[in-house]
Amino acid sequence: MEFKLEAHRIVSISLGKIYSARGQRGGLKLHKNLLVSLVLRSARQVYLSEPCCPPEPPAAPRAPPEEPPPPPCAAAAAWAPGEPPPPLPRDEAPRGGPRRPGADCESPRARRCCCGGCCCEAGGGGAAPPLPCCSRKRGAGERGQAGSPVKKPRREAEAPPPPPPGEQEDMETGNVASLISIFGSSFSGLLGKEPPRRRRAPRDGGEAAAPAEAAAAEPGQICCDEPVLRTLNPWSTAIVAF
Amino acid sequence: MSQKQAGGPPGESAGDWCLYQLNGAAELEVSEADIISTVEFNHTGELLATGDKGGRVVIFQREPESKNEPYSQGEYNVYSTFQSHEPEFDYLKSLEIEEKINKIKWLPQQNAAHSLLSTNDKTIKLWKITERDKRPEGYNLKDEEGKLKDLSTVTSLQVPVLKPMDLMVEVTPRRIFANGHTYHVNSISVNSDCETYMSADDLRINLWHLAITDRSFNIVDIKPANMEDLTEVITASEFHPHHCNLFVYSSSKGSLRLCDMRASALCDKHSKLYEEPEDPSNRSFFSEIISSVSDVKFSHSGRYMLTRDYLTVKVWDLNMETKPVETYQVHDYLRSKLCSLYENDCIFDKFECAWNGSDSVIMTGAYNNFFRMFDRNTKRDVTLEASRESSKPRAILKPRRVCVGGKRRKDDISVDSLDFTKKILHTAWHPTENIIAIAATNNLYIFQDKVNSEMH
Repeated sequence: MEFKLEAHRIVSISLGKIYSARGQRGGLKLHKNLLVSLVLRSARQVYLSEPCCPPEPPAAPRAPPEEPPPPPCAAAAAWAPGEPPPPLPRDEAPRGGPRRPGADCESPRARRCCCGGCCCEAGGGGAAPPLPCCSRKRGAGERGQAGSPVKKPRREAEAPPPPPPGEQEDMETGNVASLISIFGSSFSGLLGKEPPRRRRAPRDGGEAAAPAEAAAAEPGQICCDEPVLRTLNPWSTAIVAF
Repeated sequence: MSQKQAGGPPGESAGDWCLYQLNGAAELEVSEADIISTVEFNHTGELLATGDKGGRVVIFQREPESKNEPYSQGEYNVYSTFQSHEPEFDYLKSLEIEEKINKIKWLPQQNAAHSLLSTNDKTIKLWKITERDKRPEGYNLKDEEGKLKDLSTVTSLQVPVLKPMDLMVEVTPRRIFANGHTYHVNSISVNSDCETYMSADDLRINLWHLAITDRSFNIVDIKPANMEDLTEVITASEFHPHHCNLFVYSSSKGSLRLCDMRASALCDKHSKLYEEPEDPSNRSFFSEIISSVSDVKFSHSGRYMLTRDYLTVKVWDLNMETKPVETYQVHDYLRSKLCSLYENDCIFDKFECAWNGSDSVIMTGAYNNFFRMFDRNTKRDVTLEASRESSKPRAILKPRRVCVGGKRRKDDISVDSLDFTKKILHTAWHPTENIIAIAATNNLYIFQDKVNSEMH
């Protein structure tokens, strides 16, 4: 659990560093930013290497607090602060959208959402039982999941209430543009190399995930590929942090 | 450092270091431009050059020892100060190019003049330093002030004679090696052939001829075709001290590559790869960062290489690629604090390392203005501090100790009390004597080992 917390924290810090590298005098320091991206990748890997939760229907009671680390999807979801809100009404924001019968991913995620920020990272250790809103969200997720095309991003309600969709998107777009301009052709390793189906929007989350992207082919992680990538959207975290 | 100290307690030093002199202002708020960014003795140790973040170079010259004034013998006095680099702006990329002097390297002296190379992130410059201590007097056509004489007053012919004058040191830029690097230059190294030198940036190493500025040869290029595949960068490089065809470069992954320029024009394929497998028990999020080599130095003998990574210094034998022959912990107590050090960026600090003239002792800096010396023969090490409070002239520096919990002795300092803003990144050791130059932010400390002033 501590590892996950630490991993989350490290990712937040790393993203902050990448973000603030923009204004540095003397231009982008390739060495430092490479190291930061490696740390980002390590933190992500640690986060994901926690054992997967047993598959269960979304409505299933959540795992008791004593259980071993929450499933990676939850983990991934856990600190997926603020996906770029799709141009959809919020409540339709399919929590779902997991490409796969991500039932097991649903529950933890929903759990996370409803707990808001306080135990979002805790993921489940002793967190309060799902609130009614959670069920609602789960329902939406399920609906969304039922047959929705992969394209719909999941949206998490992160600790700080997410800014209005439009605003957040603007920031993210701006950030993406900045990141692209920073790294541009010289270090596009951090730019998202997304699978074609997800090409719909600037996946700034993909940016941070890119080094991890390369690692996404690692065994055991394919199941969480897309959710992970989405959840790696760093911007809300970065935005929150700054 | 010495066999004389054999009777001392283990862990305590060999040698009695005391402050020789201190240059720099004791201001509460240090202007960033005054922060020293590089220190380098010349080949005889007579001259000591420092570069700072403001692009200035200050050269100190050691006064010849004088029997008349025993206390001022061998002092390093300011010899010359000049502005080496100015801030520039790359309009194409909308990037400012810092004027900070990253490295200074002296050329071997070949005539009365001294020469050095100084570099910032992009441009290397060759400076020639000459002295003028005589001037001609007694011109026929000019008077003492240089004004033309009235010819009618000239009645006889005289031969001008050279008269002594106050020493004037002139520094002129003789070559400017520009536009050779896309990325930031991290090191320069003069070849033992005294004709060429190399400059390394994050991804490439170029070979220059000292007399030719409009072209250079690229000898190492590790830039991947697709930058997304970038996994490591070049962090430091140096020519072998005796073999003009050999050089080494270090990487952010902790490996060293020895290259032979005779093998091919482009030395992408190393001749030898020096790499130590990672200790799995030490694995953490930051393993990669702390294994990045921040400095590499050949021993004077040319037989060994010294590398510095975040927590250790390692001595490598050129003949053994699998692991270093010696590893010394600089500040292992930081291993549990890597996350905080990552947060405050200290984990990216690039410490340098140095050999003494006989290759028996190695030195490197740490935090809290501490610096460490390791005697390779006696296996003793010492931590000393470069601070005004603990350095009284001619008083011997007291070894410092960092305690990590457990028994704490008087004067020990706890890990949590260390000042991480006071870091000793740049140090240099006199080529033949036990004199060291330590750059502590904007201050230059010069310490001498009074007991063992000659190298052992």
